[in-house]
Amino acid sequence: MELVILAFVVWAAGTFVAVQIARSPGHDAMPARIAVPVIFGIMVLAMWELLVTGLNVSQVILPAPSVIASTFARSTSTLWGDFLQTALKGGVSGYLIGCSAAVAAALAIDRVPFLQRGLLPIGNFVAALPIVGIAPILVGWFGFDWQSKAAVVVVMVFFPMLVNTVQGLADTTAMQRDLMKTYSAGYWQSLLKLRLPAAMPFIFNGLKISTTLALIGAIVAEYFGSPTRGMGFRISTEVGRLGLDMVWAEITVAAIAGSVFYGLVALIERGVTFWHPSQRS
Amino acid sequence: MKKLLIGALALGMGTGAAQAADEVTLQLKWVTQAQFAGYYVALEKGFYEEEDLDVTIKPGGPDIAPEQVIAGGGADVITTWMAAALAARERGLPLVNIAQPFKSGGLQLTCLKESGVESPEDFPGHTLGVWFFGNEYPFYAWMAKLGVPTEGGEDGVEVLKQAFNVDPLLNKQADCISVMTYNEYGQVLDAGISPDELVTFNYLEEGVGMMEDGLYVLEENLDDPEFADKMVRFVRASMKGWKYAEENPEEAAEIVVDSDETGAQTLDHQIYMMGEVAKLTAGSDGALDPADFDQTVATLLSAVSPDNPAITEEPSEGAWTHAITDEALQ
Repeated sequence: MELVILAFVVWAAGTFVAVQIARSPGHDAMPARIAVPVIFGIMVLAMWELLVTGLNVSQVILPAPSVIASTFARSTSTLWGDFLQTALKGGVSGYLIGCSAAVAAALAIDRVPFLQRGLLPIGNFVAALPIVGIAPILVGWFGFDWQSKAAVVVVMVFFPMLVNTVQGLADTTAMQRDLMKTYSAGYWQSLLKLRLPAAMPFIFNGLKISTTLALIGAIVAEYFGSPTRGMGFRISTEVGRLGLDMVWAEITVAAIAGSVFYGLVALIERGVTFWHPSQRS
Repeated sequence: MKKLLIGALALGMGTGAAQAADEVTLQLKWVTQAQFAGYYVALEKGFYEEEDLDVTIKPGGPDIAPEQVIAGGGADVITTWMAAALAARERGLPLVNIAQPFKSGGLQLTCLKESGVESPEDFPGHTLGVWFFGNEYPFYAWMAKLGVPTEGGEDGVEVLKQAFNVDPLLNKQADCISVMTYNEYGQVLDAGISPDELVTFNYLEEGVGMMEDGLYVLEENLDDPEFADKMVRFVRASMKGWKYAEENPEEAAEIVVDSDETGAQTLDHQIYMMGEVAKLTAGSDGALDPADFDQTVATLLSAVSPDNPAITEEPSEGAWTHAITDEALQ
């Protein structure tokens, strides 16, 4: 019971400190902007730990953060192997294949109006296929290893990427295109110098959306047959074994991997589209 | 129409009796199929009602762990395999076996003859399909007994996480796959592969069999005499259902198909399944034979490894009880 009360004390104290920082004159400065989310995170973890222990919640329902942390520390080699298998082999390769295929398709659609009427509806159709429907089929086609996971990721990221790129390529005004014409620029020149740069904010939107989709696709695809490694394999197996601490450790890995992946793409975006209003601070 | 009549009857008998019936929720290990025919028969034939029980049967599925459902309070009693129940017990979820309708197990490993597997000595270098989600313990115990590593390589076997179908064998992605005598083995035959093209190993015959579907409840609930009394009546009616299903397999299969809300089961397959399941339940009157329990534990303990973390020590006292069956089966 004391632990439960302590949990609420932590809550009150954390909220008080965070509010004080937010109200202080330096609330827009870097230290304050980092401190508030960190305090909030620590507060949530502390309350989680105290409530789970204090209320005697079964480890099968919700393990305490300390248990998850010790499992994480104990099984880093397993987690690393799973990360390689799922995030890098399945996720990243599928992401690269899917995104480049989508950009190529978007360029073709942009060049040939006939394809616009044919390919876009097909892209639409593929996007509407549920992952639980296509994953078992692709596992049947490409085997149990990471190749079939990459194929699922390709299907998942293709459509958002395609739509964004098509939209981006249409984002120049008639005036800008006319200017290129007066320079006597050909199709490729105006594509490379005007239209692709103008499309970059859209393309990066698609790339960022696709990072999370890729990770989800690679993990979920492992539910439908996999070798005995991989994040999705581990999660589905450990749930059956009631090893919920390991499940949460994998979730932690997925969260970190997803954030880093997203952050990397956002960083590249900053460098490429530095001219765009959204990048000015 | 039948349901309407029953509804009308229930109304006619007055609401008093209906309300007084004790509610019991049973969580199945898998989807509605003849593997659980006894419970559906007991429900449809009114055996539960005779015991003044209002039983709800919750079907399971590929992503439902019955142990987790009972831990979360979603069920009073579950069916699961003994290895999974003991694993849950060691992880702090005190499950107790109160009855064991399945005397023997139906888990097998089926190999294509053309893959060159004729005996367990031939496994190294081959790819084997295994079910996980708490069903992998017998496999790892067997490999430990054979001394075959499961990490692949020339001396080891490559393990695939098999989805709950037989495609990997048909697509030749695996040389051997896991099958239940009463379900997937029939699917392999249905796919046009004849029994003499197959080599089948039964876990029981290989000496690594483990008790399959048993009824498990939480230990703390058993201390409550009212709950224990409910379980006595539940087990009595369930076993009556099982014996009825064994004697009337076709009727039982029909009841199962009618109870299947997904409409995915076909009558032919359920009749096949009921015939095979009846062979497994035939030897049991519901009471667990302690020797079977000891054998399952011994098999699990003989193969403790990181791959097979079912249990690492002898289960604590009270993992099974005859208290319920002694009273139910008088």
